[in-house]
Amino acid sequence: MSLNTDFMVKVAQTAIQGVPVTLQIVLVALLISLPIGVLFALIRIYRVKGLQRLVQFYVSLVRGTPIIAQILIVYSAFPSLLNMIIGKAAFSINPIYYAYIVFTFNSIATLTEVFRSALQTVDKGQMEAGLMVGMQPRQTFWRIILPQALISALPNIANATLYLIKNSSLAFIMSVKDITAIAKTEAAFNYNFLEAYLVVWVYYLIICYGAEIIFYLFERYFSKYRRPIKNRTGFNWFPFSIKQPKLEQK
Amino acid sequence: MDNIKLIINFLGQLLPAINITLIVSLSSIVLGSLLGLLLAATRLSESIVLRLLAGVYVSVIRATPAIIMIFVVYYGMPMVFNGWFHTNIDGWNRMYFVIIALTVLFSAPVSEIMRSAYESIAKGQMEAGLMVGMTPFQTFYRIILPQAFVVALPNFANSVVNLLKEGALTFTIGVVDMVAKAQMIVANNSGGFAWQTYCALALIYWVISLAIDKGLSLVEKSYQAKRKTIAV
Repeated sequence: MSLNTDFMVKVAQTAIQGVPVTLQIVLVALLISLPIGVLFALIRIYRVKGLQRLVQFYVSLVRGTPIIAQILIVYSAFPSLLNMIIGKAAFSINPIYYAYIVFTFNSIATLTEVFRSALQTVDKGQMEAGLMVGMQPRQTFWRIILPQALISALPNIANATLYLIKNSSLAFIMSVKDITAIAKTEAAFNYNFLEAYLVVWVYYLIICYGAEIIFYLFERYFSKYRRPIKNRTGFNWFPFSIKQPKLEQK
Repeated sequence: MDNIKLIINFLGQLLPAINITLIVSLSSIVLGSLLGLLLAATRLSESIVLRLLAGVYVSVIRATPAIIMIFVVYYGMPMVFNGWFHTNIDGWNRMYFVIIALTVLFSAPVSEIMRSAYESIAKGQMEAGLMVGMTPFQTFYRIILPQAFVVALPNFANSVVNLLKEGALTFTIGVVDMVAKAQMIVANNSGGFAWQTYCALALIYWVISLAIDKGLSLVEKSYQAKRKTIAV
């Protein structure tokens, strides 16, 4: 049992070119699906006639099928569909666009559920109070409801992002050159698959932990008002200011 | 109309391969739950080292893509067995590798679910059980477990559906499950009727996960009914 360390270093150097591709897929999918997720969640909550059934169907379909099936469907159906519209140019499209489509569709479904449960945690009294002081419903939603819902949604959004990052490793099936695809082709030369995948594993761990740290910071930032205000140490950082340092309160 | 006919036709061709998917999923659910129980017990134990180890394990597994796990197990395990135990396991049925990989993947979320369910039960329940003279095991088995079970059920069903979806990656190491079968059918038609075939595949998975959801809500309902009778 010995690992080919030279090869691992080589794979680590080449596979790093795939990191931006993976991040790009994740970011694009997340940024497009966040607003649509909120919209779909509102449709579910307010039971918009007609649309509500459609959204429910869509969410259950996407959440009930493996992402590999979705990838295969989109990758087989879209090129011929586009072929009818724009002709031969459809087959020279960069496959990363198909990856965007699949992962956006997929994360819209997860985020719809996330926002639905988050918006339901906000008390109805908040809306009533907002209307009471003379705000318009839209204003109340933007300024009162959404910020509160976002905080309770953040851990779940972090989870959804983690799922997205993990699932994006399947983009190699669409011949997108992401981390996994590069490592796979590198490994195929000498059949050093184990080494290549161990390197990829480390990359994914780093990306996932990075995402978790970012979301942790977001959470801390947005839930500022929820935490009890801590008294800092009594040290005066501005010796010439008039303001006296606050005393520690126990 | 033609498409629907085609999809139904492909459904008939895909369905025989479903037992591979079911065997893989069921055995990893059983094994993964046992491993998850062990992990949950470790995370609740008093030793700091054990708790830390289990915590690191869970967080690493949480950040591991399913496909990487399957590949690492598939390529790594024969190497480890060869080097350390001097046994050759290259000839193993490839299904075992998938089951091992999915067991490891499934154990992490399940251990978290079990732990949070156990912690959600008020401590007074345990104390009351001990108070009336039950042994700790009896208290756990008769008082804590039934309550924790109800709490854990929705999340457990959710991760079972996730496992089912991750199990669709079995084909990547050459086990002929439904996905591989679908790809074979597409190849046989020289690339034709591709999306109809894959739609049939998605349909099967969808029905299975809908069935799990339905079963979950039935079980939940029956538990709620029982709860009511006790309350009255």
